[in-house]
Amino acid sequence: MKKVLIVAVLFTAMVFGCLGTGNAQTIENELYLITPVSKDVHDPVLKAFAEYAKKKFNVDVKTSAIPKGTPVAYGQIIEWKGNPQADIFWGGEGTLFDDLAAQGLLEKIQLPKKMWDEIPESIGKPVPLPLKDPKQFWVGTMLEPYGIIYQPKLVKRLGVEIKDWDDLLNPKLKGQIAQCTPDRSSSSHATVEVVLMTHGWEKGWDWMRKLAANTGIFTARSRDVPSVVAKGEFAVGFGVPSYMAFAEVLGGYDVMYVYPSNAYVTPEPMSVLKGAPHAKAAHAFIEFLLSEDGQKLISQLGVYPVTPKYKVQGAPGSNQEKAVAFTGGMRSFFDIQVGNVYNVQQAGDKKRIEDVNSYFRKEITEKHKDIVKEK
Amino acid sequence: MSFENGEATLSGGATRLWSRRNFGGLAGYAGIWLFLAIFLIYPLIRLFYDAFTDDANAFTLMNFSDFFTDTYYLKATINSLLLGVATVITTSLIGIPFAFLLLRYEFPGRGLFSYLSIIPMIMPPLVGVMGFVFIMGRAGTVNVILMDYLGFAKPVNFMYGIHGVLIVETLHLFPLMTLSIVDAMGKISPSLDEAAESVGSRGLRKFWDITFPLTTPGYVAGALLVFIWTFADFATPLVVGIDDLLASQAYLNIVQFVDRRLFKMGIVISAIMILLAIVFLIVAKRYVAQKDYSSLSYSVIERRTLSTAGNIGVVVFLSSVLIAAFIPYFGIILDSFGKGWALTPFPVKYTMQYFERVSIETPKFILNSLLYSGISVAICIVFGVPIAWVMARTKLPGRDTLDSLTTLILALPGTGIGIAYLRAFRDPFPFTETALIGMWLVIPIVLGIRRLPYTVRGTFASLLIVHKSFEEAAESVGAKKTVTFKDVTLPLIWKGVLVGSLYSFILALQEASATLLLVVPGHEMMPVGIFNFYMGGSVNEAAALGLILIVLGAVCLFAINKITGAKAGGVFG
Repeated sequence: MKKVLIVAVLFTAMVFGCLGTGNAQTIENELYLITPVSKDVHDPVLKAFAEYAKKKFNVDVKTSAIPKGTPVAYGQIIEWKGNPQADIFWGGEGTLFDDLAAQGLLEKIQLPKKMWDEIPESIGKPVPLPLKDPKQFWVGTMLEPYGIIYQPKLVKRLGVEIKDWDDLLNPKLKGQIAQCTPDRSSSSHATVEVVLMTHGWEKGWDWMRKLAANTGIFTARSRDVPSVVAKGEFAVGFGVPSYMAFAEVLGGYDVMYVYPSNAYVTPEPMSVLKGAPHAKAAHAFIEFLLSEDGQKLISQLGVYPVTPKYKVQGAPGSNQEKAVAFTGGMRSFFDIQVGNVYNVQQAGDKKRIEDVNSYFRKEITEKHKDIVKEK
Repeated sequence: MSFENGEATLSGGATRLWSRRNFGGLAGYAGIWLFLAIFLIYPLIRLFYDAFTDDANAFTLMNFSDFFTDTYYLKATINSLLLGVATVITTSLIGIPFAFLLLRYEFPGRGLFSYLSIIPMIMPPLVGVMGFVFIMGRAGTVNVILMDYLGFAKPVNFMYGIHGVLIVETLHLFPLMTLSIVDAMGKISPSLDEAAESVGSRGLRKFWDITFPLTTPGYVAGALLVFIWTFADFATPLVVGIDDLLASQAYLNIVQFVDRRLFKMGIVISAIMILLAIVFLIVAKRYVAQKDYSSLSYSVIERRTLSTAGNIGVVVFLSSVLIAAFIPYFGIILDSFGKGWALTPFPVKYTMQYFERVSIETPKFILNSLLYSGISVAICIVFGVPIAWVMARTKLPGRDTLDSLTTLILALPGTGIGIAYLRAFRDPFPFTETALIGMWLVIPIVLGIRRLPYTVRGTFASLLIVHKSFEEAAESVGAKKTVTFKDVTLPLIWKGVLVGSLYSFILALQEASATLLLVVPGHEMMPVGIFNFYMGGSVNEAAALGLILIVLGAVCLFAINKITGAKAGGVFG
């Protein structure tokens, strides 16, 4: 009898759900992310979502995130074989998402059409960077560059000035640069690709070797790069997402940020995993994040809205204004001419990814000690 | 060893009881074996199976040939071995004099020193190296003072490099060595010393002829633990920028899933690490088998007093080592309260916000830790006490293997076990969609297995001290085995069981190598929380959580000390 009742209730819920009387629809009381987006951003966003869910659905959602670098998260999702322990994959490069979609591991995103259409197809010149998947398997959620972070006190003491990529090759910075390896971090990977696509394969690697000669540490994870710079252990960090650098400012550290020419700009893609245990909560989460409230929230954290509709703007002294000052006065990526040389198709090729990673491993990390000695 | 032999030693009365008593007993014994078979032997076999097959499950030696033809991996192997040996040497240089002084001499503050000297062991992975970097890093307190006040142009590189790993491991692990030596030396009867002296053997000669050979088993056991610990630690090297070690490579290759080749190499490296651990164990086997710890009680040693100069020398030596070993605690305390601390000797602003965040906002780390460590200790007791009893009191077939298996666990690198579990338990249970690695239960189970040897050792040592004649006396007046165990044995050994369990608990609280790989979202323990905070850039929160964990560990250690009096080293063997 009980079973029949449950089935009946479920059936009614389904019917009403399909009919679009959305108010009767509710969501699961749990939500799990697997994400390279660091705690600085995913924590406040999850918290805000829990409040939103309480208000809108009257559900107490228990949220948690599995923090993993993009390549690791990608591999983990494949390893789950369609039985994921998380609902949402958030962050990294769009091509990996295309790849997961091709393997049937993603679900189509359900968003109000208006919301979907507000997000532009792409950004950047001469090469356009897509901000959403035309097949609707992933959607961009926010914009941020992968640039350079530095410790002003140390940089001043070393007598260098940092304005663009090439300033990192100054011999005065020997042993002072922190970077992660491209196989552990998608921000490093994308930034290495920017170097390779700017200079070409051969000259690009020469550039990377020169950078390695100045490198003092290859960190275990990309998030360590801004940490060690903020602490003053190393003077400069390479390929750092702006919000990570800004998180250090919010944490009370004295750091500066540079958005160098043609730096990779990520839309931090988001997807619902196929077979997600809490799929409804997952779709609700995406809708929340792309709403005005969601976009306003992230604009306090050192990232930029993914639509031209919203700008980073706040009361004087607010985190928004601090963030604007921190990244040199920019309020929206749609206000400026975004330079981009990163070719998604080329960089996203599976073989290319492996080639770049293994070249870096063989010729840069494994030979690091020799490179430092030579130069 | 056969059944007949086992029975032959029992008295006639017991033979009649054999059949009745045994049915339940044998079922229990089978249960122990089943548990070990599923949660220890099967995962290891699975790991080796994966290492010897390709993606199509066909047998291959290619993986190993790839490993042994890659100069980078060979270099990593050599580095790992060298680092392990170097750590054994440095911990010996510090740990042996420590043990010797604490045991044989009387000097001011001896009691305090002997308590403080175990404290450095309480250092969750990652926390130790973090603390060191805060104080000794390029922008740490020491370097800031050197540069800002003493005119150094460049920071001194204490930490970044293999020497940094060596410093961290040495100051963390020397207590393990001290405990092993204290334990072994405490068992040397003073009458042997006197006998040697009466025939004119003194000083170095006496040390070489008497003390050294008798402490060797304890020393080898301690050295093996130090070696394996260093060998298996992947967190410390990564923080100071060292990749070319086996444990780091295993971890890095496994946590990146993109490149299937590298992933396979991660499995192969884990298998090789486990093989190496087994080899070391076999080499050291004749020293570390449980049975060789059969010395029964601690002898009372008369301590010598020292001259004033001697007293000063000893106190200065012990204090300076301990101050160095406590560096990470200073660093962790400063960073867990200091806000925006960079390039000043000490934090400029102080705050409680990090403790608030880790204890009020995310109490789950602390609660999960206590719960899962508690469950894992229950597992340790349920399986460990019977195992120890079987080893000490029966001649059941397979008990020697039990001995070897529990010792083997000590030698297994945590990363290896974690990876073995990942491979072994990833398929869903029949008729369901959940696999064991998706359930929180896997965490207490893996912790229980990893910490089982401590409970077994503690119980076993106590059982050896309780003379069998007590039990025989009870049985001779008609008490059944179970009644005897409850009324006679248990009251006499509970301290040993408790101490062993507390050690299991402390070490379960601090474990992060296996659990880090097996973590289930929403069910993270404190060490994993520390990793997550650290990796997520919230270094201060990581420090705060680390400090809470250290305090918890210190409280447990204090309890152990209270229970056992001065014999804290007993279970370390």
